[in-house]
Amino acid sequence: MTSHDRELLTQLARTATDMGPGLVPEGHQELLQCITSAAQNLFGAAACSLALLDDDEEELEFYVASGAGAEDVVGMRMPVGRGIAGWVVSSGQPIAIEDVAKDKRFAVDVAQSTGYTPRSILAMPLETERRMLGVISVLDRSSDRPETARDIELLSLFAGQAALAIENSRVFSNLGAALLRAMASAADDGDLRRALQETARDTGAPSSDLAELAAHFRELGMLGPEERRAATRLVGEFLSYVRRRR
Amino acid sequence: MSKPAWSWQFERDKLSNVGALGLPGPITKEWAWGDSTGAGVKVAVVDSGIEATHPAVGEVAGGVALVYDPDAEGEVTMIEGPHEDLFGHGTACAGIIRKAAPDVRLYSVRVLGSKLSGKGMVFAAGLRWAVDNGMQVVNLSLSTGKKEYFGTFHEIADEAYFRNVMLVSAVNNVPKPSFPSLYSSVFSVAAHDGTDPFGFEYNPSPPVEFGAPGIDLEVPWLDGSSIVATGNSFAAPHIAGLIARILGKHPGLTPFQVKTILCAVADNSE
Repeated sequence: MTSHDRELLTQLARTATDMGPGLVPEGHQELLQCITSAAQNLFGAAACSLALLDDDEEELEFYVASGAGAEDVVGMRMPVGRGIAGWVVSSGQPIAIEDVAKDKRFAVDVAQSTGYTPRSILAMPLETERRMLGVISVLDRSSDRPETARDIELLSLFAGQAALAIENSRVFSNLGAALLRAMASAADDGDLRRALQETARDTGAPSSDLAELAAHFRELGMLGPEERRAATRLVGEFLSYVRRRR
Repeated sequence: MSKPAWSWQFERDKLSNVGALGLPGPITKEWAWGDSTGAGVKVAVVDSGIEATHPAVGEVAGGVALVYDPDAEGEVTMIEGPHEDLFGHGTACAGIIRKAAPDVRLYSVRVLGSKLSGKGMVFAAGLRWAVDNGMQVVNLSLSTGKKEYFGTFHEIADEAYFRNVMLVSAVNNVPKPSFPSLYSSVFSVAAHDGTDPFGFEYNPSPPVEFGAPGIDLEVPWLDGSSIVATGNSFAAPHIAGLIARILGKHPGLTPFQVKTILCAVADNSE
């Protein structure tokens, strides 16, 4: 790959990355909320929550939750180096514990943050072939539900669906790098593959003001034709004004 | 009661029988391990550490804690010596192994810790430490689903196999990449719903080869406590303990010889 090619690719990736936030599928958070609500209902559970790893992979942050303590738990962060959810994302293995109060450190952590101390927890990793994303936890499943025997298997279906939704959405948070990585994985030539991977690594996150602008355009695009026309006129007038002043 | 995935293969009406080898004499549990206690067999628990003061664990003979460090050689720092269990799970595995084989020499290889970054590298380095430091049985109640680690773990698993190190690996819960549990060189284990610590089954339709107790088990946990837990991760140490007993009675066996013995004395063996 020549330096000109690489420069072109970098610029393309940059453009794609800046456009990415404008293309995020609608209803991402709502879908995840539906998944926790459905799991909570299916298991007859007190609560179901979904926590995602932060960029440094040092903490889990509760992203959506349903049921007891849901309002308090969303936004709460906990280190991956402790607790049952921490072990699940670290080991990549699901676990069910029937008497979590006996794990005093876990019980104190959870009770302090949510005001609700569960008796039991079933936790499963959210994982794709590329990375660990987080953990889905079900608290206090109904003890008389007829199908409890397959709870871990059932929860894995929810976990798979949630992991796909999260992965799909994250593609748009750095679209340029995602496109380059996809090209790299399809490339037969080793040198080309490495060059694409390096360029993908060098592609930064979208600039926040451009991301915000792209998100506004996305929202405008979903409004009716009259609103879109009005927005186009406003943006056009603003651009003319800026050009005149320069 | 909950069952991890793969467990269904070990239900009575699903599991078929496996053929006998037709040896001049039968391989029996009495011959396989008899009254062996696994004396002196070195067993490593690659996990979150082991609480050495827990009454269900007994003495921990040694170990190493590994941490991801981008500035270190190989990007992993190793500190040999005692360390605590950060989660409780390593202690659970150690307790299950101790119960099955009371006189093994337990080693803790702590690879799970404060952050996930570099986990694959830390896990691989811990496994390599176990293979390079004379461990005979290695319990791996963890896995990675990242395809980029396929080659790394495959290489270490093959090396372990050829050096007669038995890697006992809990299978993941869903049928997708999970290393090293999907390699033929390891003893892959899922939970069945039995409670007999010496009862297990052989699955003639791998990749999951063995079914052992892992559902609603009382296991040791942090601060001297115990909890009731379910997961394939609790089934693997049962098989690790049994292998240690076999090696205590028959030193020097190869992984395929041990698999043959386990298959012959499995509860579903004809």
